[in-house]
Amino acid sequence: MENQREITTIQAGAILSSTIIGVGVLPIPLFAVRGADSGAPLVTVCGVLFAFLGLFLITRLGMRFPDRSITQYGEEIIGKWLSRLGSAAVIGFFAVLTSLAAREFGEVVITSVLTKTPLEVTVIVMLTLAAISTRNNITTFAYIHQFYFPLLIGPALLIVALSLKNAEAINLQPIWGNSHEGMLASVLTIAALFQGSFIITTVIPAMRRPQTAMKASVFALLISGGLYVTIVAATVSVFGSEETKNLLWPTLELAKATSLPANILERLDAAFLAVWVTAVFTTLNSSYFLAVKEMSKLFRLKDHKLFTFFLLPAVFSMAMVPRNILNMYEIIQNVSRIGLFVTVVYPGLLLVVSVLRKKRGETSEKRSAT
Amino acid sequence: MLSALLVPLLTGCWDRLELEERAVVLGISVDTADKSTAKREDEITHTADGFPVPEVNMIRVTVQIALPGRIPLGPGESGGGGKGRSSETVWVVGGEGHTMDDAIMNLQQQISGRIFFGHLRVIVVSEAVAKTGMQNINDYFRRNPEVRRMAWMMISKGNAERLMRASPELERVPALYLMSTMDNAVKLGKFPENYVGMFWSNSAKKGQEGYLPYVELKKEQNIEVKGMAYFKNDKMLGATKPFQVAAYMSIKGMNPAGYRGVVKLEGHENMVMVYATSRRSSFKVRVENGELVFTVSIFTEINLEEKINEQFSVNDSAALEDIEQRNKQALRTTCESLIEEMQQKGSDIFGFGEYARAKKPGYWNKNVGTKSQWQSMFKEARFEIKVDSRIRRIGMKAK
Repeated sequence: MENQREITTIQAGAILSSTIIGVGVLPIPLFAVRGADSGAPLVTVCGVLFAFLGLFLITRLGMRFPDRSITQYGEEIIGKWLSRLGSAAVIGFFAVLTSLAAREFGEVVITSVLTKTPLEVTVIVMLTLAAISTRNNITTFAYIHQFYFPLLIGPALLIVALSLKNAEAINLQPIWGNSHEGMLASVLTIAALFQGSFIITTVIPAMRRPQTAMKASVFALLISGGLYVTIVAATVSVFGSEETKNLLWPTLELAKATSLPANILERLDAAFLAVWVTAVFTTLNSSYFLAVKEMSKLFRLKDHKLFTFFLLPAVFSMAMVPRNILNMYEIIQNVSRIGLFVTVVYPGLLLVVSVLRKKRGETSEKRSAT
Repeated sequence: MLSALLVPLLTGCWDRLELEERAVVLGISVDTADKSTAKREDEITHTADGFPVPEVNMIRVTVQIALPGRIPLGPGESGGGGKGRSSETVWVVGGEGHTMDDAIMNLQQQISGRIFFGHLRVIVVSEAVAKTGMQNINDYFRRNPEVRRMAWMMISKGNAERLMRASPELERVPALYLMSTMDNAVKLGKFPENYVGMFWSNSAKKGQEGYLPYVELKKEQNIEVKGMAYFKNDKMLGATKPFQVAAYMSIKGMNPAGYRGVVKLEGHENMVMVYATSRRSSFKVRVENGELVFTVSIFTEINLEEKINEQFSVNDSAALEDIEQRNKQALRTTCESLIEEMQQKGSDIFGFGEYARAKKPGYWNKNVGTKSQWQSMFKEARFEIKVDSRIRRIGMKAK
């Protein structure tokens, strides 16, 4: 199990991108215009750059220890107890992230499509689906993502391209925006949407050539970041920044205002939601997989399957914590900003210490020689 | 175990709702209602104690509900029943209420099927309601996930309910006739493309106001596009004349162009009709002594469509150049007077403010910043209009 090394660079990139592209697609234009109205694309770019910092640190660490993931090399770098604390934080954070993503998914579904289906049902169906598919090993996991990856990117780009018919360039000017109150907060919120990229730490030990991990990370961030920036730019150019502030899920509204040529489909929101459900599934799958896999490593178990259903009730009950939809978004913003400590500061700390103490994974030299 | 699994699988979807159980709303109209109707109203969304009665004027909401099975799906079915009257395809019901939701709920109480807005195509609001403010209406439709942004919203001169009850000959479903009136107006260049979503976006912008088509029901149950109803925030201020729509579209450089204009030549009886085939325009903005000065350059391509008398002939290009010159002047005056009129009202339906925000952000942030500030500054802005037009064709007659 541990010695499986079958994931290619492209697969790793696909895993990262489809993990990043998730439930955040819907509200991201709203987060961005809150920062700097017409400068929303710029805010998104800043968010992507900030997210890249975190991804860079964790990939760098992974390449230093190509056989191990964060729970394992953490122990070598900063000692057993400190690192166990850190790993517990990582696992806990991703469990919370999974639950919040599932809840956000449920809220969108219950508001826009299935108004009578109980929220609990949509959430538990999605979580169970994610839990079942995390029972596979990491190679199957990679194939799932590779399979869905084009299905996510294609339709999303199509909707953006079709919506540009109603776009006005004036809505995006000035490109740095008129007011910058709360810009930093928006950048952090957007950067937090990329936290799923932390999955690279679990993927690297299974990669065929771990030294290409950085390439996969850059590739994934270009694709997913590019898609996010395009979506934000399209939404703001169609609606204008002030109208975007009035919409809870601007991207969904964009799909609603877009029609296929020749009246084949007069509104694309149903098609878009179908794609989006897949996107949410891949994200949930990844963050759940990360939590489960790292947990099994923390307890030094060979197999992670034990935890898949064990974690489910906890994740589900956390998903039920937010009292209402606005409360949920407040919680999501706070949790994900705090999460930046786990996904950026903690790996950064590990990397600095490992460089100072000259710690390195043993196999890395052997591997680069072959 | 197996039976436990079967239960959720066989019961099907929670949100299943058969077509027959829905009341599919195709069109909706909003009118003002008498104060006296408040007394007749049953307590459906409010009670004397607990949920209070909202302290706003009464409105009357009329919906046009599609009758399942009666709406012909294609030309093949039209032969059967002969000429289908609109009363056979739709059901028009109205009800009063204090707010949109209140009125809709009062209606729902009387209609068996669940009111469903997924196919809502036309929202007609009477002038009287629009002048008191559209906030409540906009909020209701924006919040409802079923409503599409591609529906048309229009302001009716006089009573809006009559448009719901109208039975035009061309189309079996009145709401669809209203919709195709607007869609064709767009195609013929009579009105800019302006779905309700665009109206919402424009109204929300800091440097722009929304506008809607202003329509009137004529004697033969036909609908005339009478101009643009222009707004300030959510309140309608007035309506333009139909030809001013052409001026608006020229200023914005919108295509296709469709309006015809009379151009008077030398001698008091020499007149021709021309029509624009395409337009282009560009804005420029500069700051002069702390004031915004906009330069609007308009270019139109025109054709000659009609000559009013035979006393003169158009057989050389010099004659066409003369027409060009006069058309330029006429268009310039029309555009200037439209902008002036809007300035007096303080309603920037053109989006000059947005342009200034985009191109002169420094000035905008320092001096304008908010929507209300722009509304007052728009009145003082200066405009320079340059018009260029070229006449290209004269039809099939040689002189």
